[in-house]
Parts: sequence; C-alpha cells; structure tokens
Amino acid sequence: MQDLENEIKAIIAEVTEQDIAGITPDAKFFEDLGMDSMMALEIMAAMEKKYRITISEEKLPLMRTLKDTVAIVKEHTDKKG
Amino acid sequence: MLEIEEIQKILPQRFPFLMIDRVTELDPGKKVVAIKNVTVNEGFFDGHFPDNPIMPGVLIVEAMAQASIVLFHSKFNANEAQVKKMSYYLGSVKVRFMHPVFPGDQLKITVEPVKMVTGAAIVNVVACVDDKEVAKGELVLSAKENQS
Repeated sequence: MQDLENEIKAIIAEVTEQDIAGITPDAKFFEDLGMDSMMALEIMAAMEKKYRITISEEKLPLMRTLKDTVAIVKEHTDKKG
Repeated sequence: MLEIEEIQKILPQRFPFLMIDRVTELDPGKKVVAIKNVTVNEGFFDGHFPDNPIMPGVLIVEAMAQASIVLFHSKFNANEAQVKKMSYYLGSVKVRFMHPVFPGDQLKITVEPVKMVTGAAIVNVVACVDDKEVAKGELVLSAKENQS
C-alpha cells in the first residue's frame, strides 16, 4: 500500500510539477496543488498505463486527494486480482 | 470524409487560423486523418523566414490540435448550437519535430485517443508529408462552454 502511494505520488509530482513533499495524503488536488481537469486526466491515464487498468470517467471527480486516488487504484487492481 | 464547409461547422477557428483543409478519414471517437495543404501564400512565410520559407512548428501543433477537436467532437457529437458555445484549450504539448515543412507540402495529420472523457482528452498525433513523419507526439486538450 505504501509502495502504491509513493508511486502515485511520483506520478502526481511529475504531472503537476510540484515538489513531492507537498503531495500529502489529504492535500486537495485543485485547491492545494493547483491541478486542473487536464492534469487530472493525465494522472488517470498514467495510472491506467502503469497498472494496466481502466478507470471509468465517473471516477475522475472522485480523485480529489492522493488518499482518494490510491483507494480508487487499489479498488481496480484488487478487482484485477 | 469532411469537406471544409463541414469542418467549419465543428471548428471555431477561421482565416488565417484554420489549419486543416479536409478530413479524409473519420472513425468517430477512434481516429481522425486530416490534411493541410501548405502553400507559399501562407502569411507566416513572409517572416518565417524571408528567403527560406519553413512552416513554424507551433502551427503544425495548431493543425494537430484542430484535427483533435474534430476527433473530440466525433465522440461526443455535440449539436451545432452547442459547438458554437465551445472554446478549446491546449493543456500540454509534447511534440518532437523531425523534418521541416515547406511550401508545396501536404501535411497528413493522424489523431488517435489515449484517453477521452467529457470535456478533456489526451491524444496521440502524427504529422506526415509523403508518408514521412515530420512531427509526432501527444497533446492534452479540453473543451469548455463559453460563459457569455
């Protein structure tokens, strides 16, 4: 779980060009990290590629923090088995 | 295939900034192939560069972005009234340029989605002249309804 969180944190840091230290589990993507809808989509696509999963469009607005995002990815990877 | 009249119903850009002339292939939501005929009469050749006309790379990206709007539109199938209210924005451009584009060249631009959702898309883009790749990369774009 910690590895997954660190990997996703690295993806978010790369897309948002933010210092990885500022990406805390509860930092809000839009308000705190200055993310926009296109960056959110880039993060979603990067996670789909890395974990070979497909995340539906409905999940995009639910990705509001690192914690939310890790949970969504975990849900998909668990389902994949 | 879409001729210029149909393209103008989708794209808000107009002269001198309409950068695709025809859509030769359209698989809704999956693939668009568009062409741009590059003529020596293009205004940008006056300054880019005098005595050595080369199409600016940013305008190749603009042509790619406009073909991407056609792809985006084909997936979500907005009606004419909705299209008129839309504005499109580029969020990220990762494009490599391999060869210069000169007057007389015909740019063939192929766009395929990486991920598309309502209001935003990531697309793979390739521009060729005579089947030789001149530029390729990835664009991130969004569509928003105008407030006014």
